[in-house]
Amino acid sequence: MRYRLLLFFVLLIGNLAQAQIVTDSVQHLDEVVLSDAKLKRYSKGYKLSILKDSLLQKNKASFTDLLRFNTNIYFKENGFGMVSSPSFRGTNASQTAVIWNGISINSQLTGQTDFNTINTTNFNSIAIRSGGGSVQYGSGAIGGSIHLNNTLSFKQHFDHTATLSYGSYETKNISYLSSYSNEKFSVNVGLNYIDSENDYKYLNTDQSNENGAFQNGSINANLGYVLSSKDVLKLYHQTFIGDREFSGTVSSPSLAKYEDQNFRTMLEWSRFGTAIDSKLKIAHLQEHFKYFGNKNTDNFTFGKVNTYLVNYTADIDLLTDLKLNPIVSYNYYEGSGSSFNNPNRKEFSTTALLLYNPNEKWHYGLNIRQDVTSGFESPLLFSFDVAYNVSNFYQLKLNGSKNYRVPTFNDLYWQPGGNLSLVPETSYQLDLGQEFTYKNTSLKVNTFYIKTSDLIQWTPNDSGFWSPENIAETQNYGAEATIEITHKIKAHQFSLQGNYAYTVSEDLETDAQLIYVPYHKANINLAYAYKRMSMFIQHLYTGEVYTTPENLSGRFYSVEAYQLTNFGIDFKLFQAKKQQIDLGLKVNNLFNTVYENVAFRPMPDRNFNFQIQYKF
Amino acid sequence: MKKIILSIFAMSLLIVSCSSDDDATPSEPLGAYEDGIIVSGEGGPSSISFISEDLMTSENQIYFNVNNEATGVYLQSLGFNDDKAYIVVDAGTITVVNRYTFEKLGTISTGLTTPRYIAFANGKGYITNWGDPYDETDDFVAVVDLTANTVISTIPVGNGPEQILAEDNVVYVSHKGAYTTNNIVSVINTSSDVLTTTITVNDNPDEMLVDDNGDLVVLSSGKPAWTGDETKAAITKIDMDTNTVSTTLEFSDGEHPELMTYLNGHLYYNLGSSILSITDDATAVTSIPLFTTAATTLYGMAAKDDRLYFADAVDYTSAGQLFIYDDTSYSLINSFNAPVVASKIYFN
Repeated sequence: MRYRLLLFFVLLIGNLAQAQIVTDSVQHLDEVVLSDAKLKRYSKGYKLSILKDSLLQKNKASFTDLLRFNTNIYFKENGFGMVSSPSFRGTNASQTAVIWNGISINSQLTGQTDFNTINTTNFNSIAIRSGGGSVQYGSGAIGGSIHLNNTLSFKQHFDHTATLSYGSYETKNISYLSSYSNEKFSVNVGLNYIDSENDYKYLNTDQSNENGAFQNGSINANLGYVLSSKDVLKLYHQTFIGDREFSGTVSSPSLAKYEDQNFRTMLEWSRFGTAIDSKLKIAHLQEHFKYFGNKNTDNFTFGKVNTYLVNYTADIDLLTDLKLNPIVSYNYYEGSGSSFNNPNRKEFSTTALLLYNPNEKWHYGLNIRQDVTSGFESPLLFSFDVAYNVSNFYQLKLNGSKNYRVPTFNDLYWQPGGNLSLVPETSYQLDLGQEFTYKNTSLKVNTFYIKTSDLIQWTPNDSGFWSPENIAETQNYGAEATIEITHKIKAHQFSLQGNYAYTVSEDLETDAQLIYVPYHKANINLAYAYKRMSMFIQHLYTGEVYTTPENLSGRFYSVEAYQLTNFGIDFKLFQAKKQQIDLGLKVNNLFNTVYENVAFRPMPDRNFNFQIQYKF
Repeated sequence: MKKIILSIFAMSLLIVSCSSDDDATPSEPLGAYEDGIIVSGEGGPSSISFISEDLMTSENQIYFNVNNEATGVYLQSLGFNDDKAYIVVDAGTITVVNRYTFEKLGTISTGLTTPRYIAFANGKGYITNWGDPYDETDDFVAVVDLTANTVISTIPVGNGPEQILAEDNVVYVSHKGAYTTNNIVSVINTSSDVLTTTITVNDNPDEMLVDDNGDLVVLSSGKPAWTGDETKAAITKIDMDTNTVSTTLEFSDGEHPELMTYLNGHLYYNLGSSILSITDDATAVTSIPLFTTAATTLYGMAAKDDRLYFADAVDYTSAGQLFIYDDTSYSLINSFNAPVVASKIYFN
């Protein structure tokens, strides 16, 4: 329901914007407001879940927590705020793609995204696309992809949101969002700064999280300008600068420190024609880290990659019910770092997406992609998807795909060990989804199967150092269910959202479950609103995970299952036509549960966060 | 309330069992881990396993089982002195336990930076420290008061001090070179606690022992080929009266042994997971293996009473293995589960 509301919202804004620009074709709407319009249009046979901006506003501090409590994705977090990597449908961290306004931002060094280096302030929506997406989104979209989207609307408005929050462990957060537009020009800017001692107590011990402080600042600024009735120019920018201590384990302290600097800039020119809409994107991404083994010294190791990207895409109406979307893209990556010299990689890719809507009931998608990459051969990728509206309240979705994950700079060039003869990991998968929608209730049930070959694993070799090889083979299968119910009795609004996932992820040689993949994960969110007051309670269950390949249980072999509850209450203190003040209180780990997410790295005890938000 | 009742019940049991102990004979055991083999693993999580001398019983995570807390990352080595064992963890703490019960007695937690190994001489403890591993000039040997468990002084030494061996009132330190490389053995006088001399050996000296001739034997693994500057590995014998090199037995290029042990006049070393041996009077090393161990990643080696012991780190994430071989037939006697990244073998 939330999803539907959001769609409606997006379409509404689009409509208003559209009225001022070209035709009123629905297709153009997304093109104007969204950079990644293909996400919606070419994913008919995929499960797509959307987290809207009101939810993002409430969970500024931790993107990891936001996804942990609202989706099926499991996170492995090395203590609160430390490195956090996802496992989507039992795949590993480098098999989940993170997409910023249509382009992949996974690290070229590790292949992963650390979810604690992303601040969600000023993203208008975050979409979770389950299943293989390498054809559209490139390397790493094996388990699924997570999309951070900014929309630029050209509806006249000028508003601001300032938020201040203070919480346990001296956690201070300040953010400011400003958005302005007229018919020709649209701009929105988001600034966020967070600083936390993060020195939570390790429950049942006399220890605390000694070396875990973090601070980070981010800027998210986007501009749009209507050049003519046919052309729109947009500029997207994101900066993240973070400084974190790396906490140790329960039995050993740490002095380590880590600095992140990420810059992302993209210029986009959209042109709208009668039968063809086209879009040209030019982007520069920079990732840069420094690791200090001892924060009290100036000795560090670093890694840095610049990515330059040119992407051209056209949306062509071949027939009224047949659309073609060819994409041509060129990426150039140049790296430098303490453990390798100055390697670079060139990548040219061609993609064709075909969508056939013969009638209201059926949607067919057929997509192929071929990359030409310096250094190794990339496989021909394909995907197909079908969506069938059986009835007004029942929809079937089926998709299948071949996906890949290319070797990273570390895999190829690390000295010693880097292996230039690696090939991309390849994966085949099938996903069957069923969606039931009845009145205010929706239920999505998906079953999936993923087989991945040539998995890259670092193992010690005969020469006495570690080296990556394409050795492992895994299969993942499981089922997911998502339910959403909203109910209203007079002024009382109730909503319930729940997710459950059963995931088997096995090494095909040993038939053992992979480490850090729980068989069971579930969460439930209950919200209630009445007049000026709203409250929510959210609960998470994460099953036991193994920490060694033998699948033994116990302190040294597994991390126990845990259940966690958060509670929050918001109150509109003041509401006028153009101004609003909200107060919010959130209690995390309400029952003071002792839990670990990664072995020997305790997570926070009960903690509080107080927030005041002023909109004008 | 339930807890209180339980604890009263438990205490009463204790009293009953204590009172019955009064009748025990004087030869009661010193602890559950008195006679047997101790294997430590770097982890993570790091842990310590025990195997009884008759190889009939074994227990993993003994420190955790006794003290209900884990040993930290990374457990580098253990040292033994009288009835105490010292657990050296890279992160900077040394935990002192009763070597027979593994009950925690105390910690040495300040004054150490990246500690590696501990030795005992002249009533004091000597601990090698890398300092900041990226800094090649801050390395030291810490001198410890074993009663107070505090660092009483530090002796600056060359880069990357690794293993440490005490002989009478002198300690010898091999300098493997931390994150880089080194080629010296430091000699420290424990009466004055000063560095008396350094002895140059082949690159990357690590394992040390004293053979039946009374020579200090040092295994240098040399720089491997991937560094682009390969140097030869060597077994170096040092005359401890003059602190000079008496014999250097060099290996061929491409041969880089890392582990060494000594039993019944035979010096054993490894090439990969193969085991080779020479006698005290050998004039050259051999390249012909006696046998190949079952270890996937041979990571530790020790010998005692006609048996050779090998620690297997496997893939550095799975549970490690301990393999026990007969020292004459080279046949496998038994194998046991061991800690993750099993690395060191000791005897109680």
